Amino acid sequence: MRVLITGMGGELGTGVAQLLEARREITEIVGVDFVPPRRRLRRSEFRRIDPREREKLAAFVTEYAPDAVAHLGVYEPGSRLPARLAAEYTRAAAVGALGAAARAGRLERVVIRSGISVYGRGRGRPGVPDEDAPVAPTTPWGRSLLALEALAADIGRRHGIPVAALRMATVAGSHMPSPLGRVLRLPAVPVPAWSDPVFQLLHADDVARSIVAALVAGTDGPLNIVGPGAASVWQAVRLGGRIPIPIAGPMWSVAAHAVELAGAPAPPHVIEILTKGGAADGSRALDTLQLGALRSTHDVCTELFEWATVSSLRPQPQLVEVSGG
Amino acid sequence: MGEVAALPMFGVDLDKTQSVEPVDVIRRHLDGRFSIDPFGADPQLQDVLAPLVVRLVPVRAEGMHHIPSTGPALLVSNRGIGVLEPTAISVAVRKLCGRRLRVVGTPEIPIVGDALRKLGSVGNYPADLGALLRAGHLAALPLGVNWLRTGVGIAPTDMLVVALGYPVIPVLVRPGGPFGLPLLPWQVTFGPPIVVGTLGDRDPLSAAELAEAAREAVHALA
Repeated sequence: MRVLITGMGGELGTGVAQLLEARREITEIVGVDFVPPRRRLRRSEFRRIDPREREKLAAFVTEYAPDAVAHLGVYEPGSRLPARLAAEYTRAAAVGALGAAARAGRLERVVIRSGISVYGRGRGRPGVPDEDAPVAPTTPWGRSLLALEALAADIGRRHGIPVAALRMATVAGSHMPSPLGRVLRLPAVPVPAWSDPVFQLLHADDVARSIVAALVAGTDGPLNIVGPGAASVWQAVRLGGRIPIPIAGPMWSVAAHAVELAGAPAPPHVIEILTKGGAADGSRALDTLQLGALRSTHDVCTELFEWATVSSLRPQPQLVEVSGG
Repeated sequence: MGEVAALPMFGVDLDKTQSVEPVDVIRRHLDGRFSIDPFGADPQLQDVLAPLVVRLVPVRAEGMHHIPSTGPALLVSNRGIGVLEPTAISVAVRKLCGRRLRVVGTPEIPIVGDALRKLGSVGNYPADLGALLRAGHLAALPLGVNWLRTGVGIAPTDMLVVALGYPVIPVLVRPGGPFGLPLLPWQVTFGPPIVVGTLGDRDPLSAAELAEAAREAVHALA
């Protein structure tokens, strides 16, 4: 099977490539992204293409003619790109890569990275939606993911191929660039004054495992992928030994600017997690993909705070070799 | 940051692995070292407050053997003003079965809703109830409100559609005092599981049949 990985330069794309390299049935792996892979890959080929160069990307994908696409060219606002650019890159990568892969004529299956943000949060919405719950995103990130799902599902319908949309909880970890992780690692973290919403996290390794499982199985339709258990916002802040700063109402926009000035951009979907939480029911994916045990939200949260703090090295006194005699 | 022990995933049933000593509970909550489930429930807090609630709301129960000791099940019960009845059922289940009950119908009110979620309540949404049952919890779904407690309210078909295939147990709960006053121990009666034929998963006709059967079963316990 010839697999195309979009977004191979990210932590998730590199992780998926590493797992696919270990499988015999995957004969060729090719990846594209605007940054190179984060770790050494043994038998994957990488092509550095900016997703906004649509013709170049489409020409490359058409020439490669993949059997399967793992579409990870989905850029979370505030992660590696600012919000405006992230939406533009996400849209461009989807249109360029998925459209060309379908037209190349060999495509058999597609797996896309989506998120539980597509369900939206707040009044009138379930706290733990399953895949049958109505989708009504309440943030630009959620709307971007829903548009991507619609595009991929349309390609699947037209060409009669299975398209799996893996709706991930917030992906975090010590090596994962995550806007929520950056906010939680600040010395003082804004928290809701009158509530304690619950959210779920997912480890990057589990994301890679689930994408490979869906790709190999040829899964069709949406699946929620979430870490077991949950954490509340106040709990996560105290777990990291950070100082909670209670915020209410319109002060959240001030808090969003303040944390950005402190080096942690907080796009709307991060503020939504802090104020309304973010959880979903992932039981269907566990059954369908036979994923086994996933890292719990508590573990991922703990790992987030185990990230080594930057410490300045003191100059060591020069060692002098003393010879005896 | 202090040492962080790997916490077991608990919160479903008889797995109270964390201490309920007040000092330990406070210390763990200040450090963030406690479990919480995706619905927002804090099992350790539930266990700490349970003895107090059991003392405040005395109950007398019949038919406890109908409740499974493990695994998912849905209790459908009558409801008056909507707060005391679910509390009485929770106390009966906690005291006589040792299980935590998850009551459906958290009001979306700041502070109150959040506090109830921590104590095990969940939102009034089919998706939440479905997720709860799939996770193996014992849930309670109050029927429609009946302010004068003169009968049994309407069963919500849209909620029961996700309960198809799970044990559904009717429950009648009544205040023990004269004129329906909650002065004496509450009377909680559990009936045998309701059996209806289903035409398939999430079949609306089967759900409607289950709703009618549930209402009749609760009424029959009176």
